[in-house]
Amino acid sequence: MTDPRHLTGHAGWLTQDPPHDVEYVPATLTRAPMGVDTFDTERLILNMGPQHPSTHGVLRLLIELDGEDVIAAESVIGYLHRGIEKLAESRRYNAVGTLLDRGDYVSGIMNELAFALATERLMEIEVPRRAQWLRVLMSEINRIASHLVWYGTFGLDTGAMGQFLYAVRDREMLLDILEDVTGQRMMFNYVRPGGVVADITPTAVEKIKAFLQTIDMYLDEHEALLGGNEIFQARVKGVGVIDRETAVAFGLTGANLRASGVSFDVRRDRPYDAYPEMEFAVPVADQGDCMARYVVRMAEMRQSVRMVRQCIEGLPEGEHTAKVAKVLRPPAGEAYAAVESPRGELGVHVVSDGSDRPYRMRYRPPALYALQAAEAILPGTLIADAIVILGSVDVVLGEIDR
Amino acid sequence: MQPDTATVHSVLAGVGVTPESVEEAHAVGVVCRVRAEEARTTLAALGTCDMAFEFLVDLFGVDTGEAVDVVYRLRSFVRDLEITVKAAHPYDGDLASVWESHPAALMPERECAEMFGLTLSGHPNPKHLLLTEGSPAYLLKSVEIRTAEEVRNR
Repeated sequence: MTDPRHLTGHAGWLTQDPPHDVEYVPATLTRAPMGVDTFDTERLILNMGPQHPSTHGVLRLLIELDGEDVIAAESVIGYLHRGIEKLAESRRYNAVGTLLDRGDYVSGIMNELAFALATERLMEIEVPRRAQWLRVLMSEINRIASHLVWYGTFGLDTGAMGQFLYAVRDREMLLDILEDVTGQRMMFNYVRPGGVVADITPTAVEKIKAFLQTIDMYLDEHEALLGGNEIFQARVKGVGVIDRETAVAFGLTGANLRASGVSFDVRRDRPYDAYPEMEFAVPVADQGDCMARYVVRMAEMRQSVRMVRQCIEGLPEGEHTAKVAKVLRPPAGEAYAAVESPRGELGVHVVSDGSDRPYRMRYRPPALYALQAAEAILPGTLIADAIVILGSVDVVLGEIDR
Repeated sequence: MQPDTATVHSVLAGVGVTPESVEEAHAVGVVCRVRAEEARTTLAALGTCDMAFEFLVDLFGVDTGEAVDVVYRLRSFVRDLEITVKAAHPYDGDLASVWESHPAALMPERECAEMFGLTLSGHPNPKHLLLTEGSPAYLLKSVEIRTAEEVRNR
């Protein structure tokens, strides 16, 4: 070897004590750098996105800065607009779910469910009890998977990394289950007016049982890993406070609203499917800051696990779908149905003219309302906190843009 | 969950609004229909009355073939009530913003205006939300989407 010296570390690295006796002498400035005495900042318009990883999708944020202080913020959206509401007008009722899966693609089951519920209300279809329980089971599995994505990426927003890997590990188990039952990992097309497409498989039941054996321990780990991290706590406590009045004024729903002290959950307060038969609590926090939103979502995952356990233990016998026509023709009229998606109240308003296609289908995107609330509270915060605030409200641009 | 229709009449009468109808509809709940020019006053009155409809659940449009129905779905957390307000706007008409009483309308109003060809008035930021400026009002029934064949041959 021509040059046998150590490439990194000193000679004897790891074989002898490190040189603690070396005294550290901090460098001192002997004179002020040029310009410090006249240091000043000018306002800057920062264009963040639409390809910035911290914007959680194709969101473009225009932020006016004075140094690190956010003076004003405006979100520019629409990059992912696919015209889902217009396209739904040319699809038969059974095919609309395919479009909605591509709205909030992180929790497709809930998207399909909201439309199915609205159609069932229009047609007064009675869904078999087993189908209702299967819908709850799949919804809660999908909710945990969605919250894990949020948990992993929210940690990234605060500068942490490890939790993302663990979140993806756990989510894989859930995607395996969803794939086993629906045939797909994301674009499920599973919930249809009248019930669900397929019954649960024995292998899926085994996978769910295996998941239930480990998830409580994993959630403890998640809370210790991220929530117990002092740096994370410093980044989220007292940051991005959305008080009750602001939350209500800007239409916040879901965990974001409950973190601001409003105890409203569609599953409990406007119950649908088998939720009236489930035992679960609705976590609420009063602080309204990023930490409160973190705490509420983490607690929600435990409640979802509780419901998954109840569904597996008490799944009733029966049909997985009602006997409905292959081509649905609801009577003329309109119906509104909402579900509690991981991002909040996901509502669908369907107007029927009696034909086999919706005359109008409105999709209430909870993340759109969360985005405008976040935009409203950004002025006065620091630019680094803006990223954390945006991450804390859990937006999915596929749903916002539709 | 449903407000008393007589109370709704009474609240609106207090601000000089005579609704065209207040009735309960299947699968939607109580629907209050008002004239377009009275929508802003109606929402402000419903937001500040004892029923406290301060929460805007959603705002969207429906092309009825004769006009654009702008639909406001409101909720009261205090009384646990819900009501739907509808106002028929003429095509190419004005959509008066309700953001001062219900700030949640800020983005949905922009979307509703661009998708139905309405002109947004009284809004602090009346730009398009999802579409580029100059795009057709896609959710009007007169605007037909292209078939796959047309897209391939464009």
